[in-house]
Amino acid sequence: MFGLANPERFMRFTGPLTPWLWGAAAVLLAAGTWLSFTAPGDYQQGDTVRIMFVHVPAASLGTLVYAALGISSFFALVFRHPLADAAARAAALPGAAFTALALITGSLWGQPMWGTWWVWDARLTSVLVLFLFYLGYMALRSAIDDETRAARAAAVLGLVGLINLPIVKFSVDWWNTLHQPASLLRAGGSSLAPVFLWPLLTMMAAYAALFLAVWLTSIRTEIVRRRVMSLRARAALEA
Amino acid sequence: MLDLDMTPYAAFVWPAWGISALVLACLVARAVVVSRRWKRELKRLESEQMRTDETPTIRAQAARSAIAQPE
Repeated sequence: MFGLANPERFMRFTGPLTPWLWGAAAVLLAAGTWLSFTAPGDYQQGDTVRIMFVHVPAASLGTLVYAALGISSFFALVFRHPLADAAARAAALPGAAFTALALITGSLWGQPMWGTWWVWDARLTSVLVLFLFYLGYMALRSAIDDETRAARAAAVLGLVGLINLPIVKFSVDWWNTLHQPASLLRAGGSSLAPVFLWPLLTMMAAYAALFLAVWLTSIRTEIVRRRVMSLRARAALEA
Repeated sequence: MLDLDMTPYAAFVWPAWGISALVLACLVARAVVVSRRWKRELKRLESEQMRTDETPTIRAQAARSAIAQPE
């Protein structure tokens, strides 16, 4: 595992892996979409239950990707490892996209079920704060010209944002909210009927495969970009 | 059985799926396009670098052969 911290070895290992991840994501997305639209409507929520199949995977990935960003930031900050920094940087945009999707699809689900697009309750607000952390991370990176300083400042912000993750996860248990409590990861197993559980798990696997494919591709791109920068610097020195 | 009739919630279900598909497609397209652009640039710079690295060798060979040339 630690061997992959070497950029050359990382490129060699992820080169053949990435096309398989793209393929897995495409197959799982197709299967998940089919299962989502062949499942029956919920007896209480009707067809709005189908929003769950895109909302829950986006919300889970939004949180998990931030955990990946935070851990990578830790390694980048403590060990000053360029690959860890590249991993953190590459996770920011997909993470922000998943969190934005969770907020938008949640709003579209909330209106017919709760009678409101938005409410300032603990879960929704903490997810909005998570989205702002992503935006802050990306803004900070692009605001500082010196890449080393930008990486360090962004890594500190990435680490600070980790505090928000348990708040997102347990907000529905700690406070009274409109949002329902956890129905997948909870003591006693999932409370979802299998007819909804399988499409949801398939879509979650599809989102995870898609994220991994995008993440690995972006880390590889970042390694290539740094190589280009060093070649440009070398050419400028020789000129 | 495939069920695409979302009445009376079509105005909520389809936008949720549509926006999700659009955002995921944009993420994939961006990752692929940016990756190709940097790979192309690396290839261009490497071939340029190779040409500059070769130039002194050719010059040195030319100089050596010039020295070795009988008068």
